[in-house]
Amino acid sequence: MSDWEPKIIAFLCNWCSYGAADLAGVSRFQYPPNIRIIRVPCSGRINPKFILAALRHGVDGVWVSGCHPGDCHYIEGNLYARRKFALLKSQLDYTGIAEPGRLHFSWISSAEGTKFAEMARRVVESVVAAGPAQHFIKKQAEVA
Amino acid sequence: MQPYSESIREAAKRLLLEKRVDAVIGFRKGTVPFMNEPFLARTPEQADQLVWDGNCAINLANYLPKRTGSVAIAAKGCDSRSIVIHLLENQIRREQLYVLGIPCQGMTDKRKIADRLNGRQVLQAEENGGKVLVSGRDFEQSFERAEFLQQNCAICTHKNPVLYDELLGQPVEEQQIDRYEQTSKIESMLPEQKRLYFDELVQPCIRCYACRNACPACYCPTCFVDESKPQWLGKTTDPTDTLTFHFLRAFHVAGRCTDCGSCERACPVGIKVRLFTMELEKQVKKLYGYEAGMTQDERPPLDAFRSDDPEPFLG
Amino acid sequence: MSDIYYNAKENFAGVIERLMGRYRVYAPVKQDRCHEFAPLRNAEEADLGFSNTRLSPKGLFHPQAERMFEYSLANDDPQAGIVKEAQKDFSPRVVLGVRPCDAKAFDLDDANFNTETIKDPWWVRRRETTTMIGLACDSPCSTCFCTSMGSGPYDTAGLDVLLVDAGEGYAAEVLSEKGKNTLSVTSGWTPVTSAILPLTHKKKAAEQSVGIAFDPAAIAKKQMLELYNSPTWEEVQFACINCGACTFVCPTCWCFDIQDEVCGDKGERLRLWDSCMFPLFTLHGSGHNPRSQKTQRVRQRFMHKLKYYQDKYNSGPACVGCGRCVQACPVNIDIRQVGRQMAAQTCSQPA
Repeated sequence: MSDWEPKIIAFLCNWCSYGAADLAGVSRFQYPPNIRIIRVPCSGRINPKFILAALRHGVDGVWVSGCHPGDCHYIEGNLYARRKFALLKSQLDYTGIAEPGRLHFSWISSAEGTKFAEMARRVVESVVAAGPAQHFIKKQAEVA
Repeated sequence: MQPYSESIREAAKRLLLEKRVDAVIGFRKGTVPFMNEPFLARTPEQADQLVWDGNCAINLANYLPKRTGSVAIAAKGCDSRSIVIHLLENQIRREQLYVLGIPCQGMTDKRKIADRLNGRQVLQAEENGGKVLVSGRDFEQSFERAEFLQQNCAICTHKNPVLYDELLGQPVEEQQIDRYEQTSKIESMLPEQKRLYFDELVQPCIRCYACRNACPACYCPTCFVDESKPQWLGKTTDPTDTLTFHFLRAFHVAGRCTDCGSCERACPVGIKVRLFTMELEKQVKKLYGYEAGMTQDERPPLDAFRSDDPEPFLG
Repeated sequence: MSDIYYNAKENFAGVIERLMGRYRVYAPVKQDRCHEFAPLRNAEEADLGFSNTRLSPKGLFHPQAERMFEYSLANDDPQAGIVKEAQKDFSPRVVLGVRPCDAKAFDLDDANFNTETIKDPWWVRRRETTTMIGLACDSPCSTCFCTSMGSGPYDTAGLDVLLVDAGEGYAAEVLSEKGKNTLSVTSGWTPVTSAILPLTHKKKAAEQSVGIAFDPAAIAKKQMLELYNSPTWEEVQFACINCGACTFVCPTCWCFDIQDEVCGDKGERLRLWDSCMFPLFTLHGSGHNPRSQKTQRVRQRFMHKLKYYQDKYNSGPACVGCGRCVQACPVNIDIRQVGRQMAAQTCSQPA
């Protein structure tokens, strides 16, 4: 148990948050290596199915980050995404599928490398506190 | 339930004779107690079979998507709102429809009555005024219908149709009630308790998809369940897959569900699937002030945005 | 001539316990507001005062989902790369309290799973190692129509033993060697030589209380294509929402889908219930779907159950009149009504 390292999937929008991750890297900002990044063109591309798929795979945390509302590269993608995220987070919480501390959202622009590193640290800390994911994981079908 | 059978038959015959519509969608008397069968009347003779009582719970708007030709449809409050959703989503055109609005006093829950009868089989059920007279092999019992309504009807706040070409009766009084009492109880549980609650809730599910098929908002040509590249969830009764199915289905109807209760009524094993949709309905109302199907002038909430939308998911 | 024995109801918990000592026993168990067949953890769980289970017991032989094969590609697995048949438990079982309609249904299902040329290994093994102890129906439901379908509340088809409620006790009619062997692990049975007459009266009374639905023989006599092309299907199909509830509760619906699921370096092949009501059921790889319209699917279900099966096997319809579909259908499509319409269909020429 003590050598458990959390696995966190980060869905980052290509234009802002992914750029921020790049900048954090180039600037040699330190943050825990537990983030595995999936690049999407826009936070509006995020379908709740992606987050459910990640949780079903057994990841310990999911982090979604996009451009600041109003600054979306595609003008309004993240404005639609906002509503999806709000409902998704509330419903995952309500059904007990995602325990508190596992699901995170942020708006980080491509210039905010420090913010990215800070948020990454926060996310990892929070997931560590939640512990390894144990429920809602699909391995083998539990059938006859 | 007000005596609507006569007025539906009259309206249907009139519309068919005038050739105002090609067909009328309503219900005809069922073959077992507490059930009626959705029925398409094409001629005035067939229109004579139309009935309306407290067993007309299935949402008839389910039969509208991609329908061709003109059709009249009997619609209670929740049905009419589903029709609005269909109009907003271009599943049918307004010119095709003639809506026979029905102010509704709620649908009878045959399962609640069966519980009270404790295994005694119902052979006949008749509505009379506000009562239901139930009789079996060697018993007879009378129930106050208002105490045995479907759960969604008991907390309904939109009994009167919001869209209609003809209103078949006097509007009924709407009630003020906290629709979210049950979901609030669940919200206040600990995460662990919530997880166990929902695991237990969907445990009997046999993945028959009756809930999905009875829902007027579920009309996708290819349901996410049948998507294979990638496959989002398995099709067996595996608990994780089953919970995924109910979670995502509720999510797909978020802001579009009118709480007609057809899903719960259709479920052959009696799962309270509305516990998923009710919470989303609450959040949609709280965050975006939106109620599904109330107006044709606003896009459904996930198809729209405002610059000042709240962001409770941050942090 | 089969043997009949009697045992007092107060002994019955003991009978069940003895059975549980040698077999895995499945019996109707109260779950919430209905009954389902479930493996007994103790004798008290069995409730033989039920009418019928909500889901049919077909899941005991043809589970809703079962693993067929599995493989692993893990580096450290000595069996990596080998496709293995999933381990299953075929230890002897007893299904106690199954109604005659459901027992007959399994005989009908054998036409699919156990033929001269093709045998489903798991179905066959399960059938071989299971003793069917039935319970005659004294209060059939209003939705039952077993007598019209060639079965009946006291029918013995598919059973190894038939129990009849005889007031203070049960009378057991032993119908097979397997049934005899199974009962012999229990005790308290006394052979019945006289006083059978009351039971014969009960049987008649039960049979008479079952509603008459329609005559399947009338359907068998009709020209298949005339039934197929009948304009009445338009009317029948309207209400249907293709939900699949009927097929899932039906004891003679056997169709299944096969799904492969892979997780990491492990994979498995699963068999699960499918339904001709689902549009995907007949979807070809090319994209063509011969039953893309709801009318075609609705017609298919009734034609299969009430006409094709009769034509193919010359032995009555693929329906036992249990009435579960009538109870489960959310839009009240009633097979009794459809059957009546089919039987009344005027045809220009006989079959």
